[in-house]
Amino acid sequence: MSDAAGVPAPPSAPQGRETDSGLPLRPVYGPADAPAGEYAERLGDPGAYPFTRGRRPAGADGGWIQRELSGEGDSGRSNDQFRYLIAHGATGLDVIGDTPTMAWMDPDHPVAAPAVGTQGVSLCCLQDWLDLYDGLPLDRLTLSHSVPAAFAVAGLYLTARRRGVDPALLRGSVVQAPFYCEDCGYATHMPFELRVRLAVDSIEFASRAMPRFHAFLEDTYYISDGGLDAVEEMALGFVEIRHLVRELVRRQVPVDRFAPRIAILVNFRMDFFEEIAKIRAARRLYARMMREEFGAADPRAWAVNIAAHTSGLTLTAQQPVNNVVRGATQALGLVLAGVQGIEVSTFDEAFRTPSPEAHLVALRTQQVIALETGVTRVADPLGGSWYLESLTAQLEHRMREMIERIEAMGPPEGLCDGKWFRALFLDAMERRAHQLNAGRLVQVGVNAQQMPEAEDTLLRDVTERKIAPAAPRIERLRALRRERDAGLVATALRAVCGAAEDRTTHLMPPLIAATEAGATIGEMAGALRAGYGRPPDPFGLVSLPW
Amino acid sequence: MSVGRILIGTLGLDQHEVGAVTVARLLRDAGFEVVYTGRFNLPPGLVKTAGEESVDVIGLSCHSWEYLHYTDELLAGLAAAGLAIPVVLGGSVITAADRATLLAKGVAAAFGPGALPEDMIATMRRLVSAGVAPPP
Repeated sequence: MSDAAGVPAPPSAPQGRETDSGLPLRPVYGPADAPAGEYAERLGDPGAYPFTRGRRPAGADGGWIQRELSGEGDSGRSNDQFRYLIAHGATGLDVIGDTPTMAWMDPDHPVAAPAVGTQGVSLCCLQDWLDLYDGLPLDRLTLSHSVPAAFAVAGLYLTARRRGVDPALLRGSVVQAPFYCEDCGYATHMPFELRVRLAVDSIEFASRAMPRFHAFLEDTYYISDGGLDAVEEMALGFVEIRHLVRELVRRQVPVDRFAPRIAILVNFRMDFFEEIAKIRAARRLYARMMREEFGAADPRAWAVNIAAHTSGLTLTAQQPVNNVVRGATQALGLVLAGVQGIEVSTFDEAFRTPSPEAHLVALRTQQVIALETGVTRVADPLGGSWYLESLTAQLEHRMREMIERIEAMGPPEGLCDGKWFRALFLDAMERRAHQLNAGRLVQVGVNAQQMPEAEDTLLRDVTERKIAPAAPRIERLRALRRERDAGLVATALRAVCGAAEDRTTHLMPPLIAATEAGATIGEMAGALRAGYGRPPDPFGLVSLPW
Repeated sequence: MSVGRILIGTLGLDQHEVGAVTVARLLRDAGFEVVYTGRFNLPPGLVKTAGEESVDVIGLSCHSWEYLHYTDELLAGLAAAGLAIPVVLGGSVITAADRATLLAKGVAAAFGPGALPEDMIATMRRLVSAGVAPPP
């Protein structure tokens, strides 16, 4: 748009020179800015302690698992989606449950109906898991999940057994989010202690029965996508990791048994170098923590596996094509940071779960980076940059400080239940909105280079197509309930309730038995809540089937 | 002094609270009293709270498509309770086409992702004063 003289005012980047998390920056960096310390102790070679430069040893393949977040409607429809992604080059799957599934609710719950399958796949019982992966090679694909972890571990374990695949061959992951789920969009309406137990028990079970599977995937993505900055994202993630590690150790699970399968799912927003430095700092902090503090002896337990999503928060509903560019920029940063798995959030994410068109663009983005740019020829190509190493050191220092500050505040249960974390999230949301309104944060198409709505049409047809709730699924579930052995289900659910009530019994065996008997996620959640004296259904609309 | 009472919340299982919280604080800073009902609201509860709290406007943040399901029920519930409280929807998922559909249903205003804070505040002011004394 032009002013009266016909000369457009040049748009400018935000004033001031600091990173998104507020680290002050110099105009240029030089040898004097390089952090102090020996190379081997501070950086180490790629593939060597403290893994600042990544897990990949020099000379090894520089690839990563290319996947896209998927799942919509029922299991059958999602299975079609998986086949489409694999046919177009995806090298792993990344499945997200719909909002009822994430809340441990059945699709036939009265409140769930309008949300069944619209923002992920609807999964509630063993048959859904069997249908989800029907015909796919379970032992040759990595299967990542944003689905309630204990339910996912039970479902996958049983699916592998039914299919005649040894569960020990399963690869992939499931997110654990016991601290922050209630405040970050995945509320389970379960008490803190139960959430932690479900996390610890599912991790412990998987470390024995599914030892190649990362059942301990710390999810910091959604912390960052809630608006918290890079330091806060990693500090909160580490506080949760450290609590779960201590709980596992307290249960006498050897650290070298479960720690090699700890992974972190991070976000990558638009502050390119800060995000790369964040990942490098997290690897170093993690390595030192596992070796020095938790006494891990297996080098695999020092090198955390990092997977990432490009940021949904940075995507805009305005000018959706700009999101393609954001995804490519962020994905390149992730490759340069040396992560193990990438999912590019699709250009239509501001409006909907990914369309096939947007999935294809996201996969092609990864493929162009992998096959055309040559950025993976050399391990950690940015290592030694004065600027990046300085950022990495400062971020690690600030993460460590924040972890110590939070842990000094007392047991995490109090911080969760006392809404301390929630206040942090709410303030971050407001902070971001203010930054955007004040122009301190610039988004092209939002507060720079805006376009009249009538002209903003590119990709809009795809972006605005809606997904109807998977209504037939509700009927099918009711039929399933009628056909199953009601006595067997009731007995299995009573056992789940009893194990929860007992406070020390391992929750996975009764959850697996109940899943096998045909119990649903909503029923199992009800039994677990009842074991803690909570209402089985947070909405008070559904009663337990016994 | 308050320039009006606004109920703010999200619908059903839509747990994306960013918009609701941001708008609630924006309105509070603009002098409105905000009755924040948070997440997990269903139409009967909203009608009840709106009546008991004598709010001037109901504002719902929509980041999933559940509003498509609940809007009719909410408007019918308000009418059945004899409450002439305007309903405003806002959120990133609301497109230009959705806006037209919602206004035709009887929603007082609908804001999509490009909405400006000053426009939201002005709309709320207009709806509050319209309720007190209809413009001539």
